[in-house]
Amino acid sequence: MHFCGDFRTTYEKDIEILQTPTVRLGVAACLAFLVVFPYLVKGEYLWVGLQILIAVIGAVGLNILTGYTGMISLGQGAFFGVGAYTTAYMTTKLGLSFWVGVPAAGLVTAAAGMVFGIPSLRLKGLYLAIATLASQFILEWVFLRWEPVTGGSFGIVVPRPSIGGYVFESDRSFYYLVLAITVVMVLFAVNIVRTRTGRAFMAIRDHYISAEIMGINLFRYRILSFGISSFYAGVAGALLGHSLKFVTSEQFNIELSVAYLAMIIIGGLGSILGAIYGAIFMILLPKVLTVLTTKLTMLIPGAAGLAIAMEQGVFGLIIIFFLIFEPDGLAHRWKMIKAYWKLYPFSY
Amino acid sequence: MATNIEIREGIEKMKKTMKIAAMVAGLAMVLSGVAFSAETIKVGHLADLTGPTGDVGKPYAEGVQAYKRYINSQGGINGKTIEMHMFDYAYDKNKAVNQYKKFKEDKVVAIEGWGTGDTEALAGFVTADKIPYISASYSAHLTNPAKTPYNFFCAADYTTALRAGLLYLKEGWKEKRAPKIVFIYPNHPYGIAPIKGGKEYAKELGFEVLGDEDVSLKAIEANSQLLSVKNKGADFAWIGGTSNSTAVILKDAKKLGLKTKFFSNIWGIDESTAKLAGGAEEGALVMAGSALYGDKVPGMALLMSVEKTPQVTHYIRGWVSMMVLVEALKRADKKGPITGESVHAALETFKDFDTGGLTPAKITFTGADHRPFTSVNIMEYQEGKLVLKKSMKLPRKAEWLGL
Repeated sequence: MHFCGDFRTTYEKDIEILQTPTVRLGVAACLAFLVVFPYLVKGEYLWVGLQILIAVIGAVGLNILTGYTGMISLGQGAFFGVGAYTTAYMTTKLGLSFWVGVPAAGLVTAAAGMVFGIPSLRLKGLYLAIATLASQFILEWVFLRWEPVTGGSFGIVVPRPSIGGYVFESDRSFYYLVLAITVVMVLFAVNIVRTRTGRAFMAIRDHYISAEIMGINLFRYRILSFGISSFYAGVAGALLGHSLKFVTSEQFNIELSVAYLAMIIIGGLGSILGAIYGAIFMILLPKVLTVLTTKLTMLIPGAAGLAIAMEQGVFGLIIIFFLIFEPDGLAHRWKMIKAYWKLYPFSY
Repeated sequence: MATNIEIREGIEKMKKTMKIAAMVAGLAMVLSGVAFSAETIKVGHLADLTGPTGDVGKPYAEGVQAYKRYINSQGGINGKTIEMHMFDYAYDKNKAVNQYKKFKEDKVVAIEGWGTGDTEALAGFVTADKIPYISASYSAHLTNPAKTPYNFFCAADYTTALRAGLLYLKEGWKEKRAPKIVFIYPNHPYGIAPIKGGKEYAKELGFEVLGDEDVSLKAIEANSQLLSVKNKGADFAWIGGTSNSTAVILKDAKKLGLKTKFFSNIWGIDESTAKLAGGAEEGALVMAGSALYGDKVPGMALLMSVEKTPQVTHYIRGWVSMMVLVEALKRADKKGPITGESVHAALETFKDFDTGGLTPAKITFTGADHRPFTSVNIMEYQEGKLVLKKSMKLPRKAEWLGL
């Protein structure tokens, strides 16, 4: 939102990420809050914060694929698993360090994503979604059966990272590590969409025939999009594995894929900020509902069984209401709120 | 219309009542403060009441809570009450991990857990945070203290149960040819865990292992898998599911006319199977880890006095699980302040701990071996009732630890 008298005099100023002083202040305040967050809250909320950061990475990645390039992918959960198992294998069986394991996890997952993205040459929209669903099931099966690498049903115990002698054992220290990685990856994503590659993605999403005629190599950019999105998923999965200190195949199922799709749809397709909002919303909502139902159970004992069912029901209901009343997502709603305040009382 | 005097009197009365109410409230708060300041022992309890394993999770959790209530009614552990609230995590691992973080904040000294999912997700954490975790997941790889030193459970592990079943069937096999066996289990860590060790032992005993069938925990029919079993002509089939999926398998097997004898793991068949399978459970075996409600064993009298209605075997195992934890708390309390580490040390002092006959054998935990015992109560369904056929004891082989 540009206020009156805000002119751009150079190209550099025009393509800045944070353009107005208010926005810069807001982002600085957010970062400051994130930095002091572990000291403000109890352990269980710190864990939720950690989960949100990891989800942000995954959601941003998926948004690049689905929001910016227009390709629906139902394999996000499995790609998380590929990242988690890669880093688990590298840090335990091969004895490499976390600092090698996580980038390697990203690269291996990117390769896997590019392989499973090959159907995008011929398939579009929902048909591509079903093809990526195949990747979800194939990878899940591989996790469970490829015992020498994945430990089969036993899973792999994963150590926490260390620099020199210091081990990031506590949640707090690991939180800072994940925060640093998240900030870097979100910045990278914001930059991707500002560049030629990002514009190519958006052109493919909006009108792929025109894009092809213009000279954008569809296949190359589609595969690149799968690769980048899977890189993000791999890094997020690796961080998830290290945070839990244990990797099993149970958690990388279709439910995770659907949860991530829900995150970006609710947050707003085609916007990095939307992915962040969506991730926060989807992680916090079940927690808030759990707190509410626990309080309800304490007030009305005997409502315990009903409370859990209510939790699921309310969760679904909120998602539906969201999609009916705000289909463009939280990012759009936030823009509207900002516009209302900026232009009050002349909001037309 | 009230007069001035009446109104004033009314207000005076109100003020008086308010003063009395405030005093009573204040007194209540002070008294309750006094009550809370009595020392409590905090224990965490994760249960699945409404999730996919809720059918067996609910009775188990109720058994755990029942024993806690009993102990608290008897004065707790040397006067200290056990504070253990049941948390229903519905088999959602994320919820379990979040609740664990809360337990850690509350400084619990031990956790009564439930399924394979949460136990494995928390294995790394409980080891690092030194909080003993007694699970209802009897997966063999939780028995190796070298890998999971803070995990315990109170029944024979799944692979030992499978081996016991195989030995029992081989002993009863009178024909000359090798008996044929298939393994039916869900494509899920819980189902897969005992298969490798089980197959090795089956081959060692001389079984002809024909293959595997995949029946999900949420299956509502298993016709194609059982048709394949029938075509293979298997004599025996291992079922590694929970009561719902096992009942489905038994029903479909009877419908298809299979001659296979089924033997199930501990969670597959219980007293409710008769209702679920409607007669198809006749002749099926279960590798039970406890006595039946109403059995003439010393520990049953206490259980029956606390819980008058008949309960399934899972309830009894929950009861035993809490009994073990309470005993460990008592031993830890004698040595000093109760912490996670002291409870862990106390658990590893268990040598032939007698549960009053509620379990097939006495419980022993050592620093090198967390297998409580290697015995299984093999029960058979005869005319709608579970009957104990044999209490099979296997040797405590070192090479079987953790496998």
